[in-house]
Amino acid sequence: MLLNRRTSGDRWRIRPDGPGKVTGQMPYLTDMSAPGMLHGAVLRSPYPHARIVSISTEKALALTGVRAVLTYADVPGLNRFGIAHPDHPVFCEDRTRFIGDAVAAAAADSIALATEALKLIEVEYEVLPVVDDPEAALAEGAPQLHEQGNVQHRNDYRHGDLEAGFAACAHIVEEIYQTPRQMHTYMETEGGLFIPEENGRLTVYSPTQHGFMDRMQLARILDRPETDIRIVSSPIGGSFGGKDELNVQPYGALLALATGRPVKLHHSRWESVRAGLKRHPMKITMKTGTDAEGKLLAHRVRIVSDAGPYSTLSAEVLNFAVEHVLGPYRFGAAEVTSVCAFTNNGMSGEFRGFGGNQAVFAMEGQLDRLAEKLGMDPWRLREINLRKPEDPGPLGQPISRTDGVRQVWEALGDSRLWRERESLKAISAEASAPPGLPVPPWIKIGYGAAFVMHGAGLGVGIPDPAGGRLRLAKDGKIEAVFGYEEFGQGLIASLEQMLIEQYGFAADDLRIVIGDSDVVPDSGSSTASRATSMMWQSLRRLRAPFKGKLRAEAARILGRPAESLKPLNGGVRDIESGELLLTYEELANQAEEEIAAETSFFYPTSPVERVGSHFMYSYSSVAVKVEVNTLTGRVRLLDQYHAVAAGPVVNPQGYLGQIEGGSGMALGFTITEDAVMDKGIYLTRNLDTYLIPTIAELKGTFEVEPIEKLPEGDEYGPRGIGELGSVGLAPAIAQAIFDAAGKRVAKLPVDPQLLQERISFD
Amino acid sequence: MIDQTWAERAAGSKLECEVNGKAVSAEITPSTRLLSVIREDLGLTGTKRSCEIGRCGACMVLVDGKPVNSCLTMAYQCSGKKITTIEGLAGEEMLHPVQQSFLEEGGYQCGYCTPGMIISVAAMLAENPKPSMEQIEEHMSGNLCRCTGYGGILRSIERAIERGGQSDDRG
Repeated sequence: MLLNRRTSGDRWRIRPDGPGKVTGQMPYLTDMSAPGMLHGAVLRSPYPHARIVSISTEKALALTGVRAVLTYADVPGLNRFGIAHPDHPVFCEDRTRFIGDAVAAAAADSIALATEALKLIEVEYEVLPVVDDPEAALAEGAPQLHEQGNVQHRNDYRHGDLEAGFAACAHIVEEIYQTPRQMHTYMETEGGLFIPEENGRLTVYSPTQHGFMDRMQLARILDRPETDIRIVSSPIGGSFGGKDELNVQPYGALLALATGRPVKLHHSRWESVRAGLKRHPMKITMKTGTDAEGKLLAHRVRIVSDAGPYSTLSAEVLNFAVEHVLGPYRFGAAEVTSVCAFTNNGMSGEFRGFGGNQAVFAMEGQLDRLAEKLGMDPWRLREINLRKPEDPGPLGQPISRTDGVRQVWEALGDSRLWRERESLKAISAEASAPPGLPVPPWIKIGYGAAFVMHGAGLGVGIPDPAGGRLRLAKDGKIEAVFGYEEFGQGLIASLEQMLIEQYGFAADDLRIVIGDSDVVPDSGSSTASRATSMMWQSLRRLRAPFKGKLRAEAARILGRPAESLKPLNGGVRDIESGELLLTYEELANQAEEEIAAETSFFYPTSPVERVGSHFMYSYSSVAVKVEVNTLTGRVRLLDQYHAVAAGPVVNPQGYLGQIEGGSGMALGFTITEDAVMDKGIYLTRNLDTYLIPTIAELKGTFEVEPIEKLPEGDEYGPRGIGELGSVGLAPAIAQAIFDAAGKRVAKLPVDPQLLQERISFD
Repeated sequence: MIDQTWAERAAGSKLECEVNGKAVSAEITPSTRLLSVIREDLGLTGTKRSCEIGRCGACMVLVDGKPVNSCLTMAYQCSGKKITTIEGLAGEEMLHPVQQSFLEEGGYQCGYCTPGMIISVAAMLAENPKPSMEQIEEHMSGNLCRCTGYGGILRSIERAIERGGQSDDRG
């Protein structure tokens, strides 16, 4: 059944954060200000690679209204950050490695004064040769960007006899796939407000996807206990992975502590482009072969990824790509070699899909090319090679068992869009001209499909805590307290909906508390399509203890047996008649001790050693219909269908929005988006040249079909869907372009010149 | 060089206009943008700052009923005008029908583009209560959303058109 407002019935709910958002009343953290507030600004390197000869801040400090100018010499703790590998300087000491590298920061009475102060900071640079390509970075004699050299990370995987596999192949295809430096383009640029409190603590109001990670990193930089720092991290005006790593926080924190006054920073769009993360550009070389019947025998993959100057999560993204270039298919033999190189390009990092987007574009492209060689329908070729429910995961690891692969494969074949394709193929086989209205010869229509198997959670070897707390507050509200962040995905709405549907509470009974490190437990990060799954599992664990405590305390107060009571909407009710016996406010007032329950556990992982291997997967199939205009070379997306097998739909509106929104980002990745660099300098500086899809590109038909059925006895419930929608569209469009115009696309975004044709009008 | 006397005179100039039905005045310079008056001087932070080059529509407000990007509108151009921001769109007790439609259809996620988006839709429907898909596309292409893929936004617009200006379900 398709997912929409009508088919969702009462489950389609107005989000709790909706009224504040549609009225503009809900303040974002970058909307905040404080009395006596200063404005901060960061001086960044004008060169992609340079030695710093000297820095002088005297003139800047002499300007009236400038309250602090800081450099590396003013960092009390570790002058580095990075979630997994802290090698990113807060302030560069003797060398800058990219155009966004910070050299100094200033706080002043106004933005204009802070900007003026930056101009007065005198930095002498000695320009160094620029390494602007990962393969050049790995070549002998390349300038080395770090002590460890230019190799950020390598990860290889092998199974089976590859040479024998290729020798036995009847068909082999080889291709080099290239993907762009996609920008997250959250509408709210990075920023925040930093307040030194009278009690000596520091409060940080700044968006992030994991408040406790920011607190740990800031404590390390500031050399003060984590407990002296409070991180308020939600609501967030979009993130998509891009605000998981620190951005303005070190500068705001240092300036606030140096001046003893509140400091605000808020990036301009250009500064966001310059300093912010992007999706790793990857070059993926694949050689893949089948026997005469289409059985995949051998698969060789080489991935080269551009980390930019520092690590952040580049290694983890590469590990994810290694897993996902194998995908949902079974190969006789496979070999993946991969490397991520340091360059003087922009920073690459975490981005929705986490290396899966690049990997799946290449993997699915191989299947489509092989199907052509085999003279076989591409969807049939996938069926031949799909994994079975009992098969191990892509890296040979045990994974949670579902039939998702088969479910989404079948659903796509039965979809309206795919049946339309089938019927058109049947007609065009009989007639020379396609049916319907005459279309100009330069308008060509094609269909394509792709398959996605996407891992969720951080994977083996990476701490991945989960958990949360329920408590009856003094005012009678039931508080759900979780360390997750709301960046638009609808996390608050999902939590509320689960508490209503699974616990029987009413929305008015509830208060959702998130995004404040002083009050929430560490529930782990709001990344890797994990938060909804972990909230679901937490609530399952908390249900018996929390409801049991509510009932027991109500029984004591009412002097009735606990078995005759049930905590539901509004309060504790008679289990038979449903009569309200005790409101939650009365219960809170009369309780002898606080009624609360807490759980903490870890995201489930596979029992293997291989770092990053996943245990839980979501599955999706994507079909598209596109129009290629061979006069302009432009591609229009007319229709799309997504089948998603990820367990129960927790929140219909959120689910639909995640698939639609993820797909919208994927369209940009496919047809227009690339933060273009030339010799380490961004040519793309703002949204006039960085083109994300508008309503005009995304007005086509869109269908989402969730497949909720899980195997009997499944304990894990809903799988993540936050990233899934952003993965499969690119290869589906590439195949549809081939279907329409006979051109193979291997480099994204699609170059219109590739699709332009000379038209003859005779 | 800047002409000192001119600069001093300019620094002291005053914007007098009406914002959300109230008379306001603000100290401005010739280079002050409407966006900064709204956000910084008046504290109306529902109007968002994002690209600052008039591409994304996050800072959209109504000036005498017409939608403009307040990042590209100079404050001095608004002298004597009636400005409506997202905070001024709703009635005393009831949301504007476009706001109500966005709420019901889920035409937002992170919500950062939403004020500008709603202002833009409200302006479109005030001029043309039954726009065609081509007119919607034309009118709304200046408002970028990164979260929704526009599906929820299109459904919200459809709902607002169906409502014909009514905030409740009788519309």
